[in-house]
Amino acid sequence: MSASTATHDHHGEHEHDHHELGWFQKYIFSTDHKVIGIQYGLSGLVMLLFGFFLMMIMRWTIAYPGTEVPGLVMLSKLPLVGNFFANWIEQWAPGGIVSPALYNMFGAMHGTIMVFFGIVPLGFAAFGNFVMPLQIGAIDMAFPKLNMASFWCFFVSAVIMMASFFLPTGAVQSGWTMYSPLASTEGMGIKNVWMHGHTWWLLAMVFNISASLLGSVNFIATAINLRAKGMTWFRMPFFSWAMMVTAFLLLLAFPPLEVAAILQLGDRVFGSSFYLPTGLMEGGQRLDISGGGNPLLYQHLFWFLAHPEVYVLILPAFAICSDVLPCNARRPLWGYKMMIYAVLTLAFLSFIVWAHHMYLTGMGVMMSTFFQITTVLISVPSVILLTCLMITLWGGSIRFNTQMLFASAFLPMFGIGGLTGLPLAFNFIDLFLHDTYYVIGHFHYVVAPGTIFALFAGVYHWYPKVTGRYMSDLLGKIHFWPSLICMNLIFAPMLYQGMLGFHRRWYDGGKYFEQVTNGHLWTNELISFAAWGLALAQIPFIINVFVSIKSGKKITSDNPWDATTLEWNTPTPPPHGNFLSEPIVYRPAYEYSVPGVEQDFLPQHVADNGVPAEKTAVAANHH
Amino acid sequence: MEQSHDDLQKHVKKYVKIGIILGVFTIITVGLSYIELPTHGLNIIVGMIVATFKAALVALIFMHLNHEASMIYKILLFTTVFVMGLFVLFYLAHGDGLVFTQFDGYPGTPYGGAPH
Amino acid sequence: MDIPFTRKPRPDTGLYNAKLGVWLFLASEVMLFGGLFSSYIFLRVGADYHWPVHELNVTLGFVNTLVLILSSVTVVMAWANLKMRKIGAYKVCMWITVASAGVFMVNKSFEYKAKFEHYGVKLKDGTILTGHLPEGGYRIEFGDVNKLTLNSKTGDPTYFLEYTKSENPKFKTAAGTEVELTKSAWKELAAEAIKAKQNSVVLTSVAPLTFAVKESATFTHTDSTLTFRDGTTIEGKLINDALTLQVDKVDVRASDDPKKSLAWTYLGTEWQHAFDAHQEHAKEKYKSFDAKDARYLRHVMQMEIHHSTVAEHNEAHPGAGHAAETHAPAEGNHKADGHSSHYPEATIARKDIAFWSNFTPKWNTYYGIYFILTGLHGLHVVAGALVLAYFLLFDTKLLREDPDHLANRIEVGGLFWHFVDLVWIFLFPLLYLL
Ligand code: HEM
Ligand SMILES: [Cu+2]
Repeated sequence: MSASTATHDHHGEHEHDHHELGWFQKYIFSTDHKVIGIQYGLSGLVMLLFGFFLMMIMRWTIAYPGTEVPGLVMLSKLPLVGNFFANWIEQWAPGGIVSPALYNMFGAMHGTIMVFFGIVPLGFAAFGNFVMPLQIGAIDMAFPKLNMASFWCFFVSAVIMMASFFLPTGAVQSGWTMYSPLASTEGMGIKNVWMHGHTWWLLAMVFNISASLLGSVNFIATAINLRAKGMTWFRMPFFSWAMMVTAFLLLLAFPPLEVAAILQLGDRVFGSSFYLPTGLMEGGQRLDISGGGNPLLYQHLFWFLAHPEVYVLILPAFAICSDVLPCNARRPLWGYKMMIYAVLTLAFLSFIVWAHHMYLTGMGVMMSTFFQITTVLISVPSVILLTCLMITLWGGSIRFNTQMLFASAFLPMFGIGGLTGLPLAFNFIDLFLHDTYYVIGHFHYVVAPGTIFALFAGVYHWYPKVTGRYMSDLLGKIHFWPSLICMNLIFAPMLYQGMLGFHRRWYDGGKYFEQVTNGHLWTNELISFAAWGLALAQIPFIINVFVSIKSGKKITSDNPWDATTLEWNTPTPPPHGNFLSEPIVYRPAYEYSVPGVEQDFLPQHVADNGVPAEKTAVAANHH
Repeated sequence: MEQSHDDLQKHVKKYVKIGIILGVFTIITVGLSYIELPTHGLNIIVGMIVATFKAALVALIFMHLNHEASMIYKILLFTTVFVMGLFVLFYLAHGDGLVFTQFDGYPGTPYGGAPH
Repeated sequence: MDIPFTRKPRPDTGLYNAKLGVWLFLASEVMLFGGLFSSYIFLRVGADYHWPVHELNVTLGFVNTLVLILSSVTVVMAWANLKMRKIGAYKVCMWITVASAGVFMVNKSFEYKAKFEHYGVKLKDGTILTGHLPEGGYRIEFGDVNKLTLNSKTGDPTYFLEYTKSENPKFKTAAGTEVELTKSAWKELAAEAIKAKQNSVVLTSVAPLTFAVKESATFTHTDSTLTFRDGTTIEGKLINDALTLQVDKVDVRASDDPKKSLAWTYLGTEWQHAFDAHQEHAKEKYKSFDAKDARYLRHVMQMEIHHSTVAEHNEAHPGAGHAAETHAPAEGNHKADGHSSHYPEATIARKDIAFWSNFTPKWNTYYGIYFILTGLHGLHVVAGALVLAYFLLFDTKLLREDPDHLANRIEVGGLFWHFVDLVWIFLFPLLYLL
């Protein structure tokens, strides 16, 4: 695209067809999918950072159990809120030493926040909201008001979740999986069970799930009904495909979690026994319950959601990489159709593998065999996706800008994560590795250096479209390399620890389990230092995001990366309504380095004669 | 899709008829539940067959699923498959346990002694 | 800026946005209720007690089924009438639909209320007695209370003083000052204690106190101490710890030995004889059944009681076989008060009670899933009715200017409404009949 189309003068000419919205309607209670995307994105980033902060404190306790966390008591010296924190620290971390209860609290909240309040909002809700409608040529989501409701539902759930830290009982302490019966009876001895952190967790999740449902209905309806003229299913970029499939996963997998949460709420506040077996004792006392329930019901309902959920975490990452890699390798996406079939298969299979998280619950041979087979099967489509992305790089003329670094690092990191999952798929190996740090290492390899790196790539990639300025490439590289090193120093030793038998929920890092850990405790320290190093490595990123808004290098074209998809065919930043004229799609999504074409890319809206579709559409209207 | 006045008029009559059929089958369901079939399981199966028939009428006629856009069928097909997955949960926990592979207390195993 | 396909379907998909949206939403609803029905099966298959059959009020459930079917018919007729521009008929149909939702919920609330007021008591030997509690319910009575120990962090006088029988009780602190335990007074005391790093505050009562405490407000109690849920412990003497029940059914299916059931200790041997007679009769009647068949046990090992004395009972049921055939449960026909004359009263020592509760989710997993399923379904009914009522009452401008658009809305709202009906079609037999 020539630079002449770069800076559309979109201010003067379109003033008349939309009246000015007030500040609140424009930035807070906005129904514009881009603003909502940014809202989700910022909240997601903040939550990720907060979840990471919890983990840093936990890492101290693991590396140096029973010692004071440096700086924790400083919180009580803050102006205004100091007194408040002083009481809180006195209760949960007397003298700055993390209590076991606080460790459990942070552990449970770290998982919850990262999964439900960090990655999903950022990967699915933020990128999906901002990019997907632009990419398929829609002027907004199909239901803009529902979209706004979705964000505010999410916001309420986040507030409830955060506030639960400050209840007298503290936040939930039963791990992010909330296994009953412990989770059903945790803290039941208080006057008012409604005022317990766990109960608030359940309430927050009900809102969170509602937000997801609203969002996913919107995504799918938009993808089906609002595609631009000429945007056939097989011209739709893989990014949008992956987002739509993710939306389906959310739509159909979240309700069982809602059931699980509602039944657990019943156990907690209405005294029911859905998950409580007959004769359950706690603290030597028979509980005042009817019994007759079954904790396995909870686990089944939970994992019925939570396995599809892990694909909700990873598919947006594939989505982003499928845009960033071809664009920066200047090669078409290899095996585009195969990837679509793979992602559909993956989504389908992800619903029938859940019990691989439950091999050790006394499952019989038949079921266990079934789930081992499906679990091994599901790695086939995963490998197809990964391989297609990798082959895309073959023979490309690669631009190693920051987003490309992150996106290409995603490939081996996800590879390790996926491969370490395979042994877990077999019950006889899982017998030894279940609930150890190996499992932690496995899924963090997928989610942290995997998904989160892809999300970073996405931020660097679409930032110019959002703000009209580039992020600094230098700061980006200072962000990338230490992050890559630290991530591996954190998660590779975990695989090793797990094989030694380090349990995933030890409060003291294994100090009192010498038979297992003797001589290996140094790995705890190594991991902790790497984690704090990782935190430092995020500082350039934070600076980059904020400083570049005002002083980043200005883009000179609406399509700064010479990409092919429709979102780059909009003014920057895209106005309310997105496109200046109705976009029409003439070609597949990844026409890079087409032989015989002068430019090395052909955007989707360019008609065969080489004239941008937009112009032809305008011309056609004049006839 | 647009329907003519006459079509709609016919539809209204059909809706009333279906409503009456549903009412009649409700009475049948209640009546059947008081007849003791050879096993109670049979009662449940019969009851569920009648309920499924009623539900099908509601879905096909009232919800117009007898003529709907193909996209809706696709969505519902997937949903049905997954919901079937949900319905095997009970079997996973109750039907297929470790009992088949359990040691029956060989002397000398850590589980020594016969289970009771 | 107008979103396309809000009114007219998109040609290639044949759908307008809202219809697509509602079907997607319904797909997720199918998963939600699918999960709940699956839980129902799970719990029923795994139940280690006798799963209740025909225990709810079938008449109410039946009426509600018809009401929902009626409303399903009217809502789809409303749509068709609007399409034909028969505005009057459209409005009538909509009104009937919304009113049906109201009737449904009113019926539901009667059902719920009856369950809240009906109790089950499981005795230590497995025998189950059901019935109503006399006025005031069950209270643990505790007298001669002089000493109270409050937890300085969690203690809450407003919580436990609710259960004293004495008016305006006064207390003395360890230092000897006299206090009345108002909220502010307690706050001061607690703050002082926390400052002095004392976990608890000990108070003595000026005059001995008597408490009558509901069990759910306590942690534990012995003959001389009782601990409330806020952590407060009182010391005194246990006066009375027995539950009085107006028994309307005896169920010995799970008794260790039905002949020696604790029920007969509390109801007397006369009722045991009545039961034996009933059993003989029922055995004869159901002799074609296997003796382990749950239905056989249901008829033979249970007896309903509608009379306060055995004499009346025998008179009403010569042959004594009738009780088990009246499938309609006792509640619903009676108000909670004023029926004490219908039932024999049993005063059961707490030590003989294994578990007791009203028929709420606490009683067993059947009532748990019943309340969750019907409660969630009820929420859907309310939500659907509100949406339809909104279309009826507030979309008047649309009705005038663009009836086809309003018809779309009615269609979408109606789809949801039919789904709610569809769920009930399964709920009714599963919970009420089978
Ligand atoms: C590619 C093939 C994969 C296979 C074969 C696989 C297999 C497994 C298995 C068997 C477990 C259970 C381990 C145990 O608890 O003992 C597990 C845990 C886990 N996996 Fe994977 N996995 C794969 C990919 C992924 C992906 C893509 C994600 C996405 C984020 C992921 C996230 C998780 C998480 C979060 C857990 C642990 C949950 C917990 O117990 O807290 N896995 N995996
Ligand atoms: Cu999994």
